[in-house]
Amino acid sequence: MSALLSVEGLKAGYGPIEVLHGFDFTVNDGEIVVILGANGAGKTTTMRALSGMIPHRGTITMAGAALPSRSDAVLRAGVAQVPQGRGTFTDLTVEDNLLCGAYTRKSEVDEDIERWFDVFPRLRERREQRAGSLSGGEQQMLAIARAMMSRPKLLLCDEPSLGLAPLITQELFRVLEDACRSDGLSLLIVEQNANLALALADRAYVLETGTIVAQGTGAELLADDTIKQAYLGVG
Amino acid sequence: MMLASMIAFDGSLFVERMVNGLAEGSIFAMLALSLVVVFRSTGQLNFAQGEIGLFGAFVVSTLTLSGVPAWGSILIAMAVGFVLAASIERVIIRPIEHRNPGTVVVAAIGLFLGINQLHSLIWGPDARSLPSVFPTGADDFFRLFGAAIYWQRFGIFLLLLVLLGLLWLLFNHTKVGLAMRAVANNQESAGLTGMRVGSVLMIGWGLAAAISVLAAALLAPSAGLSAALMFGPFLSASAAATLGGLDSPIGAVVGGLTLGVLKAFIIGYIPFLGGDMVFTVSLVIILVVLLVRPGGLFGSERVERV
Amino acid sequence: MAGLTQQPKIVERGSTLHRIGQLVLFGSFAAFMLWKGIQGDRTGLGLLTDAIILAIAVTGLNLITGYTGQISIGHSAFFGLGAYTTAILVDRGWSHGWTFPVAAIVAFVVGCIVGLPALRLKGIYLALVTLGLAVAFPALLNYDKVSGLTNGSLGIKDLTYLPPEWTPFDGRQDLHKWLFWLSLGCFLLVSLVASNMIRSRVGRAMIAVRDNETAAAVMGVDRAVIKTVVFGISAAMTGLAGGLFAVKLTLVEPVIGLFTLLGAITILVAMVIGGTASTWGPIVGAVLYTYINDFARTQGEQRDIAGLGGVIFGVLLILIARFAPFGAVGLLRKFRARFVRTVPKLPVDTDQQNRVVASDPA
Repeated sequence: MSALLSVEGLKAGYGPIEVLHGFDFTVNDGEIVVILGANGAGKTTTMRALSGMIPHRGTITMAGAALPSRSDAVLRAGVAQVPQGRGTFTDLTVEDNLLCGAYTRKSEVDEDIERWFDVFPRLRERREQRAGSLSGGEQQMLAIARAMMSRPKLLLCDEPSLGLAPLITQELFRVLEDACRSDGLSLLIVEQNANLALALADRAYVLETGTIVAQGTGAELLADDTIKQAYLGVG
Repeated sequence: MMLASMIAFDGSLFVERMVNGLAEGSIFAMLALSLVVVFRSTGQLNFAQGEIGLFGAFVVSTLTLSGVPAWGSILIAMAVGFVLAASIERVIIRPIEHRNPGTVVVAAIGLFLGINQLHSLIWGPDARSLPSVFPTGADDFFRLFGAAIYWQRFGIFLLLLVLLGLLWLLFNHTKVGLAMRAVANNQESAGLTGMRVGSVLMIGWGLAAAISVLAAALLAPSAGLSAALMFGPFLSASAAATLGGLDSPIGAVVGGLTLGVLKAFIIGYIPFLGGDMVFTVSLVIILVVLLVRPGGLFGSERVERV
Repeated sequence: MAGLTQQPKIVERGSTLHRIGQLVLFGSFAAFMLWKGIQGDRTGLGLLTDAIILAIAVTGLNLITGYTGQISIGHSAFFGLGAYTTAILVDRGWSHGWTFPVAAIVAFVVGCIVGLPALRLKGIYLALVTLGLAVAFPALLNYDKVSGLTNGSLGIKDLTYLPPEWTPFDGRQDLHKWLFWLSLGCFLLVSLVASNMIRSRVGRAMIAVRDNETAAAVMGVDRAVIKTVVFGISAAMTGLAGGLFAVKLTLVEPVIGLFTLLGAITILVAMVIGGTASTWGPIVGAVLYTYINDFARTQGEQRDIAGLGGVIFGVLLILIARFAPFGAVGLLRKFRARFVRTVPKLPVDTDQQNRVVASDPA
């Protein structure tokens, strides 16, 4: 398998405060990779650095080429993000949100909208409603569908389970996995919820205060005692 | 006094005053619209908005003097205003530190003064006249409920309606419009969906400028083209936008028309207040509205949680 | 921090070194003023007096806009109110000196009333309401019902304030020096009141309201009282400046720029180019504003090109906004931070070596 995204020596932060202290990771073609970390470990900062929302140092290569540093160019390079807190356009309708997702595309937009309405029928019922009036779970669905509308090669998900009921989280993870397997999409998820995420992951990294401290396959990490203790509340 | 005018109520006079108010209100509404377009995307009130319009009106005057037809001149001047304002956004406004709101206000005031005086640097200090795009003859009117409605006033109101239709199409049925709404709502997410936020902001400033140029070019034939042309209308337009809600285009139009009609009626029916006090009275009314609805009539009032 | 080879010297606030620094700063300010006041020619001193009067008005605005975060584009109305109060009273035979406190009190009362809508409105909406006040004030002066008092568009003349007997000044000949020292005295008084207010409990409440109103309310700050009273005091200071302005100009009339919206903008711009929410900001900003404005105007006049002065001034404002977003004082602080860094006085702890030093955000 070849690396789709490869990150080397990633450093980023806010003003004078460095949050990420330089680490490496890769996401291969068609792979689901999870970065596990507690609050403040630097998960969201990693995502924001990848998407060009904050400046970073280190090299990020996407499909053999350097990943651009402005967020709109990142999307055009095939990397879409579902940001933390969903980031939907609250004043726009559900349908307009999806159209925004397809902003960089010209053809088959309507077909894709129908496809995601099939995946999330609740969005179809609310297509004319303002996104701000949706429930948290529905907004997360919308955020995922909007990101997928750009037909990315790599999807970044920033804590998709945050603030959602476990059943809804499970449903979302299933949809993400399906999309991954059927479209050849690669997935990078940062999560706090280790149980669900590791079950889904091909490979996983553990992030602690801006550095990667462990890595392995999902199954390996699930079996690791220290991981269990720190993130699964077991033992 | 109110009673006296009620008893001697003259229907055709009422309609005439109404139309006069709508005509002036349409100018306010256009300017208010351009303020709202910029406010929605940047959260800033562009104090130089009227002056950009004034600059455009001078371009119109130069073009018509060299023989370009009135309509053509206005369209070209709108394009010039668009480019000017888009460049201002890129070169002056964007690099400014936005952490300190006072700074942006100072830059906007600098723009206001600079552009206001720039035209006399380019075109000399003398006032000019601008031909109207509507027929202005003494017979160019039609009758409605016995009132004489002059095309040069009613035409401005019609143009506002056309402008609104075009803006509605732009915002709801084009990709640029979608991007403008998205950027106004959430700049970060707009970037994540592949929109070039900077370019969208420039387009927003440019669009607002083009509308202001139209307003100034419609106002100048009756008010005379001078440095002070847009000062009063800008104040009224900011008041109108505040009344309607600074983030609401519908509010801007309703606010502008309301203010125009209110002004015409105060002058017409409450003459003892005198011309100088009209704006003050309008402001008091707006203040009362704002005290009841701090976000304006149509604006979104955001709830703040602790 | 990358290109920095030498660590800045750390000075604790309130320490002897910090006190000495403050004394040197204030001393040079005092020496400069003293030198100007004794030496100054009529024109030069007149311009400086204008700057000091403006600085008093800016100090007032700085309280409400700088420290409490309520943008006012209406302070020209308080300035004009103070000027007219002084003018009307002098016209009715009052002694000049007694009219200044009355001007401040009148402006205070009106300021408190205007501050009431501020309880409900904020940000740009409040800015627009105060802007309305700025526009309404000159119109009101001309209004028939009050023109008996204000003398309408003719205004009130002959307000010359000759130096009183007890001063060392010699009548009309020393008028410009007397007005300079009078204004400077008022400025020092107003600055003292303002800086004491800011250091007090009230000042902390003001800043809390600015930075996070909801949180301030939860912490038990009475926003209503803070906002209205501070608005009143702010107006009072600006009103006092107006009174001084009236006697300096020796007349008042509705068309005077500083009584119109232009005046409100002047006060606001001077505040921002000096540096909002800083002690030295008002005087630095007012002096800069007065001299830049004078420079731009004379350039335009000398070259006899209509509009040049305005364009130069506009461009200068844009450059200031771009390159000195926190005003001249902010710029100087940034420069100073390369050599000296002041830190708040920390509670005494046992291990002096290992203390963690918080950095000065300015």
